[in-house]
Amino acid sequence: MPRKPIPPNRARHFGRRTFLADVGMGLTGLALGDLLLQDGIARASEAQAWSLPDGRAHFQPRAKSVIWIFLVGGMSHLESFDPKPALTEFAGKEIGDTPHKDVLEASFIQDNLRIVVPDDANGHIRHKLFPTQIGFKKRGASGLEISDWWPHLGACADDLAVVRSMWTTDNNHGAQLQFHTGRHVLEGQFPTIGSWIHYGLGSLNDNLPRFIVLGTPIADCCGGIGAHGANYLGPEHSGVQLGVDPQNPLPFAAPGTDVYREEQENQFALLDRLNRISAVEYPDDEDLRARIKSYELAFRMQTAAPEVVDCDAETKPTQEMYGLHGKDTKTFGRHCLVARRLVERGVRFVQIFHGSNGGAGAWDAHGNLKNNHAKLCAQVDQPIAALVKDLKQRGILDETMIVIGTEFGRTPGTQGTDGRDHHPFAFSVVMAGGGLKGGVAHGATDALGFHAIEDRHYVTDVHATVLHQMGIDPRRLAVPGRKRLAIDYGRPIRQIIA
Amino acid sequence: MRARLLGLLVAFAWLPTGIAWAVDYAADVKPLLRQHCYRCHGALKQESGLRLDHVSFIRAGGDRGPSLDSNADQSALIQAVTGSGDIEQMPLEAEPLSAEQITTLRTWIASGAEAPDEPLPADPRDHWSFKPPKKPPLPVVDNPAWMTNPIDRLLAAEHEARGLVPTEPAEKHILLRRVYIDLIGIPPTPIEVRSFLADESPDAYRKVVDRLLASPHYGERWGRHWMDVWRYSDWDGYQAEVRESQPHIWRWRDWIIESLNDDKPYDRMILEMLAGDELAPTDPDTLRATGFLVRNWYKFNRNVWLDATVEHTSKAFLGVTLNCARCHDHMYDPIPQTEYYQFRAFFEAHDVRTDRVPGHIDTKTAGLVRVFDKKSDTPTYLFERGNEAAPRKDQPLVPAVPAALGGDPMQIAAVELAPEAYYPGLRSFVRQEELARVEAAVQQCETAMAEATTQLVAARKKLADFVASNQAAPTAEQQATEENAAATNSENTDSADEPTPTNTGPDAGQQQTDTKQVDLNAQVADAEASADVAEQAMLTAAAELVALRARIAADDAAFAVPPAENAADLAREASRAQRVWEMSRARRDVAQAQRELDTARASNDKAAKVDIEKIEKRLAAAKKARDDAQVALGKPGDVYTRFSPVYPSQSTGRRTALARWIASPNNPLASRVVVNHIWMRHFGSPLVDSVFDLGNNGRMPALPTVLDWLAVEFVEKGWRMKPIHRTIVTSAAYRMASTSANESNETLDRENVYLWRMNPRRMEAEVVRDSTLAVAGSLDTTMFGPVLDQESGMTVTRRSIYFRSSKEKKMTFLDLFDRANVTDCYRRIDTVVPQQALAMVNSPLALAQSRLLASRLNEQLAEASSDDDRFVSAAFERVLCRAATVDERDACLKFLDAQAQRLADPAALVAFAAGGTSDVKPSGDPRQRARENLVHVLLNHNDFVTVR
Repeated sequence: MPRKPIPPNRARHFGRRTFLADVGMGLTGLALGDLLLQDGIARASEAQAWSLPDGRAHFQPRAKSVIWIFLVGGMSHLESFDPKPALTEFAGKEIGDTPHKDVLEASFIQDNLRIVVPDDANGHIRHKLFPTQIGFKKRGASGLEISDWWPHLGACADDLAVVRSMWTTDNNHGAQLQFHTGRHVLEGQFPTIGSWIHYGLGSLNDNLPRFIVLGTPIADCCGGIGAHGANYLGPEHSGVQLGVDPQNPLPFAAPGTDVYREEQENQFALLDRLNRISAVEYPDDEDLRARIKSYELAFRMQTAAPEVVDCDAETKPTQEMYGLHGKDTKTFGRHCLVARRLVERGVRFVQIFHGSNGGAGAWDAHGNLKNNHAKLCAQVDQPIAALVKDLKQRGILDETMIVIGTEFGRTPGTQGTDGRDHHPFAFSVVMAGGGLKGGVAHGATDALGFHAIEDRHYVTDVHATVLHQMGIDPRRLAVPGRKRLAIDYGRPIRQIIA
Repeated sequence: MRARLLGLLVAFAWLPTGIAWAVDYAADVKPLLRQHCYRCHGALKQESGLRLDHVSFIRAGGDRGPSLDSNADQSALIQAVTGSGDIEQMPLEAEPLSAEQITTLRTWIASGAEAPDEPLPADPRDHWSFKPPKKPPLPVVDNPAWMTNPIDRLLAAEHEARGLVPTEPAEKHILLRRVYIDLIGIPPTPIEVRSFLADESPDAYRKVVDRLLASPHYGERWGRHWMDVWRYSDWDGYQAEVRESQPHIWRWRDWIIESLNDDKPYDRMILEMLAGDELAPTDPDTLRATGFLVRNWYKFNRNVWLDATVEHTSKAFLGVTLNCARCHDHMYDPIPQTEYYQFRAFFEAHDVRTDRVPGHIDTKTAGLVRVFDKKSDTPTYLFERGNEAAPRKDQPLVPAVPAALGGDPMQIAAVELAPEAYYPGLRSFVRQEELARVEAAVQQCETAMAEATTQLVAARKKLADFVASNQAAPTAEQQATEENAAATNSENTDSADEPTPTNTGPDAGQQQTDTKQVDLNAQVADAEASADVAEQAMLTAAAELVALRARIAADDAAFAVPPAENAADLAREASRAQRVWEMSRARRDVAQAQRELDTARASNDKAAKVDIEKIEKRLAAAKKARDDAQVALGKPGDVYTRFSPVYPSQSTGRRTALARWIASPNNPLASRVVVNHIWMRHFGSPLVDSVFDLGNNGRMPALPTVLDWLAVEFVEKGWRMKPIHRTIVTSAAYRMASTSANESNETLDRENVYLWRMNPRRMEAEVVRDSTLAVAGSLDTTMFGPVLDQESGMTVTRRSIYFRSSKEKKMTFLDLFDRANVTDCYRRIDTVVPQQALAMVNSPLALAQSRLLASRLNEQLAEASSDDDRFVSAAFERVLCRAATVDERDACLKFLDAQAQRLADPAALVAFAAGGTSDVKPSGDPRQRARENLVHVLLNHNDFVTVR
């Protein structure tokens, strides 16, 4: 039972009647969670003195869960969601020799960039333009343009909201952490978007943690577990890593092969009996009551956690849809399918990492971008598309917000002979579901895809959009003594909200 | 009422403007003004002469006249927040108010700006915690049992005033377990429980308390508490790269444990942690204490590092949120932004270094990590709005403490350091180790030289003998003699090199003779080359020893106070000796390379040929080095290699000054903060709820007299913690039961603010693990030493405090039980989550210890071991420190029977498919295995992790 850190004094506020009612009800958390959603609106207000969030939405939420997919290393916006014919037109030319040379003079370069490693081999402006490595097509009724490396997701175009005008400030992979906390790595570590959701919203399912991480987290170089951490909110708000191996999804999920299931079941039964004998003696002890429940839940979680990651329970067509049997798609497909199973069961925030490789990340295509991105897109395109379609066919896309992000885009100019360098000045983020519009491209970059120029959005605008759809006003979550800047809050991208 | 109102507010967001509803000053207007306006128009500051923190001030207005007008839109207040009229839009430098908020203000004004009668706001400078604590008079109370201990008298007065009835004393076994876990972090053994139950003397409990406070485990238990508050963290980083905190910081952990066990006065601890390098610059034991500052080291950004230093120094020792004044003036406390940076200035010069420790030449493998003042002239600037890119360079700041906090006047005096402190290479162990190293090398070279000489002599003799024997045609007799001699010599030479002569004819004989002579010549040449190299090596070692002694002598002269008259001469001598040594070393390298090259050239081995080019390069380099050394030797000079870096000989003394100001009886906060922390850890709930913020935005103490009495008492008792612990744990308050059926108390004070009963608590993470090991009889009580691998915590049975704990490197088991968040942990959180249950049910630790304990209990029961009833009793006493009730015993006995039967038929059972299997296997005997299961259940029992 994930419990908010209620100070002991306050925690003891519940009386004996609550105790009896609770034990009778069993899964109080679930019931309460449902009530909260129905109720919709919490009492908290900036007009009151600060207190711990009570787990209720601040206003009517549009979404109840988020699936946050992060492509580690920096996916090229120019070969995915932001077509730039000028790159091919001026391929091989220096930017300064093209009609678009003014991009080099733009104030964004001075104003936004914050360099961590000054003389690094990477993270530079590359001047010689590199042609787009893949074709684009207009897709769906909306005609949203998406590259040919994304045929499956392209088929979902009418459900997608693409933001083409993202920017960040770190020209190196600390931007991975930044994408999740909203702060440049030099400013330290801060709570992440998932932890804010966890901090602000109650549980919908007490069999499972509210904030779950799938896939290998980003490497220590670039934020490490900080990218799903909670920092000053406290570690209980951090994401819980769940393995997709049903044998071992959680720490201490099973006792080892020399223990029998029946043996352990009887132990649980005896423990329950003994704790309930204690409960007669300590009728006011809600920790005891919580502990009795936590053991019930642990017992169920031993089954629930392996169960929720067990994709064998899915039909063959569903497995096929996610590519569970494809060589390229099987790993990430499993993560996406498990994500769906998690949100179906009420998990609030599922964060999936793709491309972690112990270093900068697989998407970091400094060379041979064509092969690199073709291969990686083949791993993620079908599973992500399956996720969109599957949620939709199950009628829960509306209440599930999908975000597909990456730390930065890639340079319009070429690095080496066939790669693109880090590019913090422009990149794309794709969202779907959760009460957002479909078939829209919002914001724009210049002709070279160099700078975000129309409706520019810093990464926290994505956070703000997520929080808004989840019914949370982040200003009401601010913790005294932890000053947040206006940029930390961002602004919801209203143009893509349905 | 509020819900309805907010419903309206929210609904309003989707409606056109202009709908009016009732607005309440206290609920709607005041909080809005507090959040957005008070900072510049409140008790601390009155920009434009305007205050907005009381309705009378709002009405009165400021320099512009009244803020309100019956026409809301004509009101200065509305014009300010909308930026209309000629007023700049407020708040300045912040987000404007939202349309909804402005409407709230407008509506309030339009409806007459009504407000309830409120007292004028207090001046934040008069805040209670900024005034020095005074001992309150001790009241006389009715209950005689509560008249002995001052804490009890103060509490009983509160109880009596509120009609609360204190709960009965806890049962003896509960009290004993409570005080054991509280003071030493592990439960009592059954023998200890029994002897306490049997001891009916009036001072039985006091004896236990004295014993526990004298136990070395006290330092481990409370050390962990203070490591929370002082933000202990082992180093963290990317692979081997250190990014945060520092390796070897565990020495600070040992300092904490030792200091607590010694009952070192807390004021002294503060001094040592903030300025140990200035107070005891040559005492490595004290230097460890500066780990408090070392911990903030941050690779990427000095400002993040110093921000953490400022924030946590002020929170840990002063209970003040100085960090809130980094970007702007503090919103609640009278601390202007400038004072944040002036506080930073105390630390501006300091940096981190690692000194050598005895036995380790390389500070990477072991070292003493500590702070020192590196650049005393580094200026401190205020960063505008906290932005490090906008330092106000025209106004360098001097160190100062927040004026509103009072205390002693600040006196900063630079500290002259002893040479050994700023030049650690002077320390005797460094010299001894260097001398020992070089002397050993000399000896080794001498031995090698002697061997090489022997070989050379032998080779020459063999050659000479051979030549001699061939010159005089040998008679058969002579030949025989020679052969004998050769046989004798063959002990020293390789006889395989000496083919047995075979006489196949005169020519063949001559050929053989020639070959043999060439061979022997080669052997001599080889032995000569060997001897040459050995000699060079010996000379080099000897030269190094000479140089070493000369360097030591030169150091002695140079760092004597005052420097010796012959210092310059000795420096030149050392410099020359060092260059002689370097010259010798270069010659040795040439000889060595030359010999290797000769060997390689002479060899028929293919691999050796491949190396030739490499060796040639090395030889060329060695020759160049030799020539350079030759040139260097010819020049005058007085530079020689120091035994360590030489750091600044002066420290700013700023940190000492700050520490003295904090650790002073006149500091109003330091003693209150520390006794509040101590109280919280004894009672499970602090006297001031916001333990790191005793300022205006913190909570008021519910029991101010108790806090202040303890704070003053603490200082009067010499800032020693043990007397405070003793006073607290021997109080009647501490000894109360944690349960109560008193409905009246419940009604009057449900939250137990006035402590009419004890608070039950859950064991902290480390206590869960340590106690599991302790009750199983497996706890390894070895203290201190290098940090242990966090991954080994399931099998290594040392106490949890000794395992690595940092942001990423942490023990999963402890993490699940809410180990200290290394970023910030003034107060542990305490969750009940199913992952904890899984850890106690499935971890190899819990499984192994259950099995071990079951078998140890059998051993203890000896001949009675077949008796399940006795086993159940023993298991309850050992794990839960109490007897089983009838119901419990009944349930356990039934379980043992049924479980043994079930386990007797393994074919009918299904094993788990996975998990971290323990090395300690379950018993093969079903009855014993059922007992293991029972012990395991008791470790999972609520009464195990609960301290009642």
